[in-house]
Amino acid sequence: MASKAQTPPLALRAATYGFVAVWLTLAAFPFLWTLWGSFKVELDFFSITNWTDALTGPRTQETHGSAFTGAGYEGAWVQEEFWRAAINTFIVCFFVVCTSLTIGTLGGYALSRSGFRYTFWLLITALIFRAMPPITLVAGYMLPFFEWNVWGILPTTIIVLVAINQPFTLWMLHSFFQNIPKELDESAKVDGCTQFQAFRHVIVPVMWPGVITTGLFSFLLAYNDFAVTSMLLSESNRTMVPEIAAFLGTTYTEGNVMFAVAAVVSATAPLFVLVMVFQRQIVSGLTAGAVKG
Amino acid sequence: MAEIQLRNVSKRWGGFVGVQKFDLTIPDREFLVLLGPSGCGKTTTMRMIAGLEDPTEGEISIGGRVVNDLEPKDRDVAMVFQSYALYPNMNVYENIRFPLRVRGIDPSGHDEKVRRASAMVELDDFLHRKPAELSGGQRQRVALARAIVREPNVFLMDEPLSNLDAKLRVSTRAQIKNLSHELSVTTIYVTHDQIEAMTLADRVVVMNKGVVQQVGTPTDIYDRPANAFVASFIGNPAMNLIEGQMAGGVFTAQNTRIAGLSGPDGPVTLGFRAEDATVGAGGDGDGAGGAITGPIYTLELLGDATMVALRIGGALVSAKTDKTYRAEIGDPVSIRITPDHCHLFDTATGARVGD
Repeated sequence: MASKAQTPPLALRAATYGFVAVWLTLAAFPFLWTLWGSFKVELDFFSITNWTDALTGPRTQETHGSAFTGAGYEGAWVQEEFWRAAINTFIVCFFVVCTSLTIGTLGGYALSRSGFRYTFWLLITALIFRAMPPITLVAGYMLPFFEWNVWGILPTTIIVLVAINQPFTLWMLHSFFQNIPKELDESAKVDGCTQFQAFRHVIVPVMWPGVITTGLFSFLLAYNDFAVTSMLLSESNRTMVPEIAAFLGTTYTEGNVMFAVAAVVSATAPLFVLVMVFQRQIVSGLTAGAVKG
Repeated sequence: MAEIQLRNVSKRWGGFVGVQKFDLTIPDREFLVLLGPSGCGKTTTMRMIAGLEDPTEGEISIGGRVVNDLEPKDRDVAMVFQSYALYPNMNVYENIRFPLRVRGIDPSGHDEKVRRASAMVELDDFLHRKPAELSGGQRQRVALARAIVREPNVFLMDEPLSNLDAKLRVSTRAQIKNLSHELSVTTIYVTHDQIEAMTLADRVVVMNKGVVQQVGTPTDIYDRPANAFVASFIGNPAMNLIEGQMAGGVFTAQNTRIAGLSGPDGPVTLGFRAEDATVGAGGDGDGAGGAITGPIYTLELLGDATMVALRIGGALVSAKTDKTYRAEIGDPVSIRITPDHCHLFDTATGARVGD
């Protein structure tokens, strides 16, 4: 009886599943379409005469003797040396995440444990800087960067990205730290820790999911950034996103749009892996503080 | 070994006074209870001893060494927090071992010490659990074990029982009393529960609004409260207090006349404990001492006794009587008290007057 009462009517269940199925298809479609299309030639993928060409790939067959071709990937990675951009992205992301997490963890901890009122205003100031469009910072610094001869290189970009990113990491980590009771630090201090030992042995292990979540967000910011990287990096130092944009921009050669499509797929794949690996920490990090532990 | 001295210790935050001129010597091995309502400065006092709060002025010394400028870790104190403050990522064993580990104590002795401490609080079966998998009482015992594991000079306990349910509180209280007897270490214990204070303490410090009201043994404080605040804070029910006038050794107030007292003439507050009074029929006011007469306001059956309450002025006055006593609300009754059970307090200042 009870189980019957709890089972929704068949029509409702069908509608629910149907809705989820439609939503999933809609959400995943652009990614799947791009993935499928990246193995075709441009004339198929962007066919004006018949859109099903993108699915079946008659011209791809004509040119390469098979419905699928790795020509886009080969062009992007080998011919255009997209791997350089991938390495640059890795360098930029690594240093942005490390720097902003170091400053954010130490700063967020200090702000959450400080009894002074100025901490509030520091955080508000940080929020204002976070609210500004990143491009305003870049525009203001372009000229000095040229004059000091630091334009176009990775360290400058890393510093600017950290500056844009820092308020967010500081806020996020600050709120994580605030959810950790002060008694934990105090207990550690009475037990024999210095302030820093209390932080390292007691607080950081508890904070770990929060650090991972914040780290992932600042990684994504650096990874996906276009405004800063496209304006501050010279051609030879480009990261993946401005490199993809550059592929798109040079449409006078046939293959380059397909290079961009292949590069997009190559750039998206690591993100899936990353989120899969850290999904447990991300979920617990995002929900931490929702209920008092 | 570990005598604690507080010399004129004060703590202020801007204009707010947390603790005002706290001056006390706590001899070695004493079990001292700081008692008072919330916000009275008792926890602040303890936190200053632990080094978690800096005194605004005054000097704190432990074992003859001034510790004002020492970090908490260098004071050789152990503290049990109200919220237990267990390290959630470590199991019970690691929690208890933590003080030994961070202090760099020879690791070969750790296991034995941890096991001895956990045995003292009966936690042997839970050593591999995480704090989240323990009940409130078990967490409390982990916190105790973590405090005793390195045999500190001073124990500080900040309302350790207030998060436990009533039944567990009684058994843990007994355990703490037994532990402190066994370890015989100077202990400072903060509570707002006067029963904990009475049962555990060698000496009690009653505080209110940052100021020490009275220091004494539990019996002292119960039998000779230094002022009306202490009188109204200690005891269950609290001491009855009636405002009235003294003239020639006779106290009078509404429906109240008690003779044979020694105290100055003028406005005073008379106090007596419910169990020191006897309840008689209405109208027979002339025995030894005196009586309060009036209709019964309420009657409470407690099982082992019956409480009879009258309303005198704005205050409730209650007396404890035999468990078989029965009457109706509104029945006339008289509560009789002998003068030697009466306490007199100055109505204006609250200070004890007379004897």
